[in-house]
Amino acid sequence: MESPDEELMLAYGGGDAGAFDTLYARHRGGLFRFVLRAVKDRGVAEELFQEVWVRVIESRSRYAPKARFTTWLYTIAHNLLVDHWRRKGLSLVSLDGEDAASESANPARQAEGRQALARLLQALEQLPPAQREAFLLHQEGGLSVAEIAVVTGAGEEAAKSRLRYAMGKLKTAVDDN
Amino acid sequence: MTDDDNISRRYRELPREEPPRHLDDAIRAAARRAVHTRPAPLVVPTGRQRWYFPLAAAAIIVLAVAVTMHVEREQPGEEIVSAQGTPAEEVKAEKPQSAPQPERRKAESADSRQLRAPPPELQKAPEPAAAPAPPPPVAAQDAMRAQESAPGALAGSAKTAPKASSAPPAARAESARAPAAPQANAQLGRADEGRRADSLSAFALQSPEQWLQGIADLRRQGRHEEADKSLAEFRKRYPDYRISKEVLEQLEKR
Repeated sequence: MESPDEELMLAYGGGDAGAFDTLYARHRGGLFRFVLRAVKDRGVAEELFQEVWVRVIESRSRYAPKARFTTWLYTIAHNLLVDHWRRKGLSLVSLDGEDAASESANPARQAEGRQALARLLQALEQLPPAQREAFLLHQEGGLSVAEIAVVTGAGEEAAKSRLRYAMGKLKTAVDDN
Repeated sequence: MTDDDNISRRYRELPREEPPRHLDDAIRAAARRAVHTRPAPLVVPTGRQRWYFPLAAAAIIVLAVAVTMHVEREQPGEEIVSAQGTPAEEVKAEKPQSAPQPERRKAESADSRQLRAPPPELQKAPEPAAAPAPPPPVAAQDAMRAQESAPGALAGSAKTAPKASSAPPAARAESARAPAAPQANAQLGRADEGRRADSLSAFALQSPEQWLQGIADLRRQGRHEEADKSLAEFRKRYPDYRISKEVLEQLEKR
């Protein structure tokens, strides 16, 4: 039986470096994709991904399992993303109800749009950041609506609405095939 | 299968990007380094702390006891200094001799202040002064206690003499002295040769101030031998008594 994430984090806080390896192996892929698909730039994604884990390492002695480890991990990632977007003059919330600057005008992408997965990916990239983040938290982190609300600092209704809109747009993109 | 499940399935079919290996290695290495170099504790270990409180408490107790003992040793000297400059004492000293009862009360209230410096009048003027009489030596104190037990002894009149004569010898001596205490100097002045031998014992029953004044009077009258003996006796009786410089000059000069 696998140890829960929270126990592993506590064990790492107590000096067990092996516990961190297990924890890292469990979450490295999902977290990396979450960051990568949020910023759409591999270099920036790697930098932010590393920064998330550095924060985890630094917080090991203060960690208290008040919520799921995943919620805590993605909250760190969310905050770093907010900082990143703020530095770039963007905001998650302001783009909540609108489509992001679209890359749909890219002819190469449209040509590849025949394939459903490509369209899905394209649709994901076209989602407003807040909706995209809600979708990625749900898919990559396995977070519930309530947990998404906690991570993003939004109300539960807002989180539910973002996720519903994201799902609807992605379904439309897939069904276009 | 719901629409949401279909989207999730399609999403999982997307390429599964992963962090590069060098990034994995760097993060894991950082995690290991952090474990091996633990940050310094914010609180001092309990085992070491355990010694601090008893040690500090013991040091405080020792200091408090030392300060208390020091203060107790220093107190008599301070009292002498403060008593020398008290104007109230001077006022008392200038009270007329016609009121022996208040004088007597003052002498009784001064029980705890045996070692008192002479009032300024005593240092300057040879006139007899009815300074508040600190309690005499032990023998005299016994006499005073005996006197208090005899109600009429304080009157100071001739009528009380028979009652005083029934008291023990020391009490008799005290009862004879008490009314005349303020006039000790006058008594010494008219003392004849036959009474010289008794002068020392008479002084011994007086207050230290009166004794010193008596010695000064002897010195002025040229009775240096008696003055020397009386001064030696005084120092023997009151080894801790501090005689001011001015009074000492009067007592020792020839």
